[in-house]
Amino acid sequence: MTARPIAFFTIDHGTATTAAAIIGQLDGRFRLLAAGAQPAGISADGLLAGLVAEVAAIEPDVLPDPTTWSDWRRLESATHRPPRALVAAASETGLGAAEAAVAAAGWRVVGRISPERTDALAATERCLDPDVELLVVATADPVPAEERDALADLVALVAAALGRRDDEPTLVLAGGAAGVMQRFPAARVVLGPAPLPHPHAGADPLRDLLVALDQALIAGAGGPAAGFPDGRRALVTATASLAAVLDRRVELVDVGATAGLRVLVGPGGVRGAIVSAEGALTPPDVIEDDRRADGVLQWSTIRADAASMRDRVRNLAIAPWRDAAGDGARLRLAAARAALARLDAAWRLPDDAEDRPASYGTDLLVASGGAFAVAPAPAVALALVDTLRRPGGMTLAHDHARVLAPIGGLADEADRRRLLADLLGDVLAPLGSAIVAAGLHAGRHRGTVRITSEDGADMRIELVPGGVQLVDLPPGVAATAELTTRDGLWLGVRAHHFALPVAGGLGGLVVDTREIPLRLPERPERRRDLLDAWQRPLWAGADT
Amino acid sequence: MPVSAGADAGARVVGAVGPVVEPRVRLRLGAGDVPLVAIGQRVAAGDPVAERRRDGAVAWARLGGSAAPEPGTAVEAGVPVAGRGRRAVRFAGSGRVLYTTPSGLLRVAVGRHAEQVGTPTAGVVESVGPAAIVIRADGIGLPGTLTAGEATVGRLVVAVRRPDDELPVAAVDVGAAGAILVAGARIDVEALTRARAMGVRGVIVGGVVGRDLRSFAASEARQRAALHTSPPFALLVLDGFGKRPIPPGAWAALVAAEGRDVGISADPSFALLDVAAAVAAEPRDRVRVAAGEGLGRIGRLLEVVGRRRLPAGVLGPVARVALEAGGPGQPPEERLVPLADLERTGP
Repeated sequence: MTARPIAFFTIDHGTATTAAAIIGQLDGRFRLLAAGAQPAGISADGLLAGLVAEVAAIEPDVLPDPTTWSDWRRLESATHRPPRALVAAASETGLGAAEAAVAAAGWRVVGRISPERTDALAATERCLDPDVELLVVATADPVPAEERDALADLVALVAAALGRRDDEPTLVLAGGAAGVMQRFPAARVVLGPAPLPHPHAGADPLRDLLVALDQALIAGAGGPAAGFPDGRRALVTATASLAAVLDRRVELVDVGATAGLRVLVGPGGVRGAIVSAEGALTPPDVIEDDRRADGVLQWSTIRADAASMRDRVRNLAIAPWRDAAGDGARLRLAAARAALARLDAAWRLPDDAEDRPASYGTDLLVASGGAFAVAPAPAVALALVDTLRRPGGMTLAHDHARVLAPIGGLADEADRRRLLADLLGDVLAPLGSAIVAAGLHAGRHRGTVRITSEDGADMRIELVPGGVQLVDLPPGVAATAELTTRDGLWLGVRAHHFALPVAGGLGGLVVDTREIPLRLPERPERRRDLLDAWQRPLWAGADT
Repeated sequence: MPVSAGADAGARVVGAVGPVVEPRVRLRLGAGDVPLVAIGQRVAAGDPVAERRRDGAVAWARLGGSAAPEPGTAVEAGVPVAGRGRRAVRFAGSGRVLYTTPSGLLRVAVGRHAEQVGTPTAGVVESVGPAAIVIRADGIGLPGTLTAGEATVGRLVVAVRRPDDELPVAAVDVGAAGAILVAGARIDVEALTRARAMGVRGVIVGGVVGRDLRSFAASEARQRAALHTSPPFALLVLDGFGKRPIPPGAWAALVAAEGRDVGISADPSFALLDVAAAVAAEPRDRVRVAAGEGLGRIGRLLEVVGRRRLPAGVLGPVARVALEAGGPGQPPEERLVPLADLERTGP
């Protein structure tokens, strides 16, 4: 008698789209059988039934009785819209440090109060705003002498305003501001450590506290996402599990409709992790602010007047799942590039042990989130290389079925590792590899890259200074890339000869000798032409 | 449960955002504004619910040992707010107490001019807070994407023949004074400005060009800053940016409500209709094209046909749709449409 097959669903409930997959067991190994996505707000049942029907039509034996699909187990995670926070400090310096902690903890900063920038009327109105769910008053600890008077005045204003509110927004008093807690009802106050003077994505007690408050708020809220593990936190966990399974440094970037995530895990654990509303596909205030829309459009290759393009960006913010083909797909990836660039701007790692400068390098970079859902793999690979720039080589992959978050939501590390070990080849679509090398000089002896693959292929390509070259290296092929130059190259260290292991993928091998960071022409037409020249070969049917 | 996804293809398509029954409408208050209503009070559309202090500023005075008034205490021009006799603390403007500093400075939000804020809908006052009044509206709210301007109320006039028409500037005349105009798929800034000048109270459209919205917002800001302000005016955008036909469900409800008083709220964005104008149910397979080629066309969803290669080489699920005639040059036809670009006309 043969055992009945096992199958279960993973479902990632995003704020704009829901992604689902069927995981089944074949020959004792878990495999991804089918995956799909649909706009959020539709019951997932139609999508699940469709996936079951797809598999049942092709390979019915791998599934349990298909008519019982509604009883199959589901691993689910959900993301939510970032809650709103107001940040107050007794000086602009203190405000910047506090805002960095609040923003990196997944809150959307909707107001800033400091004596230099805010008058009493505007500050009171911000404190009274019923949409503000968290207020953070922060100073260094102890309070600097020059900030004491300003802090006393600020606390009097905040206490007066909050005393008028019937609802109960949480108030965090961080650092030296904790000394004024007697001015507020105890039930409303949470005491926290001072913000880091030089904010970074590494360990930060204030950010950890703010993350805990965010999670508590989600847990207390109702709605369709209630009760499921938070998708972004689950992605951090899944990245750590993935790094352990691979025994490699793994970085993951997730760009969703309302927030973005970036996490880097090294041998010693999580090196840095931020969740940022600024990392969303479209900036939070893009509807009101033309400049935010222009920030997206500086990555666009579409030729159209600025006003109508800004409107397309706003429509993307309103309904991110729509207009997924043609120019809409290109615009979505331009928005993803802009989001990655914003995430990169907030990405600072603490120094390594013994005060050595932080290492930003990674062996594997994984892209996740709805922003990358419909773009061709080579285009996604270039978007990552364009925006998250650092010298060195890395493998690129795509969490195309959005399975990592539901797996990260599993409570048991052994379960996560077992599933990931089985599913690696299925859930991480190989985008390819990238070598980003700086410092290549133009001239007669520019250098070469020689690629020798395990299947016997041997290619030699001349390096192009300031350019990006795509080398065909199919998925599943491992190779060695040897870069040789007479004047030397910078890949984290400077040398004349490098040999790097690279893996093939849908996007092949990207060899990038452009500047770090990437500098684009100021003039829109020239910038667009240059971006188009880089991107056009990567879009199949680019003229359709 | 059945395995086939084709049994209810409409279940794979996102539904239109349906009307909200008895929606909560929030009217924002500034720190110096004074509510004129109490919780539980019934209000009629247009009734004043708050007094707004315009040109707000912070005034201050030393308390000089007098007891500090509570934050939020109303301040009347010339009336002592603290102390007595020669030590009485008064302000030249009216407003509200903000707070008292540790050094004994009383800070007050005052405005030089007062104006009344009306409710855009009949209903019951549900809460009165320092920053907002919440009213549970009678009837239904048709959700919009955004509102520019202030909450308003007026007689509804459907000024275009079809939901994808545009309202020409010349069609806005003084006869529309006091009305809320349904202006079709788009309105430009000239028509908006003219509508404002003719005494129109509001405009409801499917889409708006962002540039026109900015110009309108700047014009509104100038209006509000003027010494003698005009009645409130609002632009309600139902679907998005650019030229976007009014969604069929909303169009049917607005046509049914023509001639009645209708409100526009800004927080959240609603067209507020009385119950008599409730929307009829739509079949589940009736869809509209909400993005891409054929935007605004209506049709019947025949089946979800699976993944296909789409322009730019991307793969996505598509559906076969029998599109109705969509006006000149758009005969009825059957077409494959990306599933993501479709929206059911009903919720």
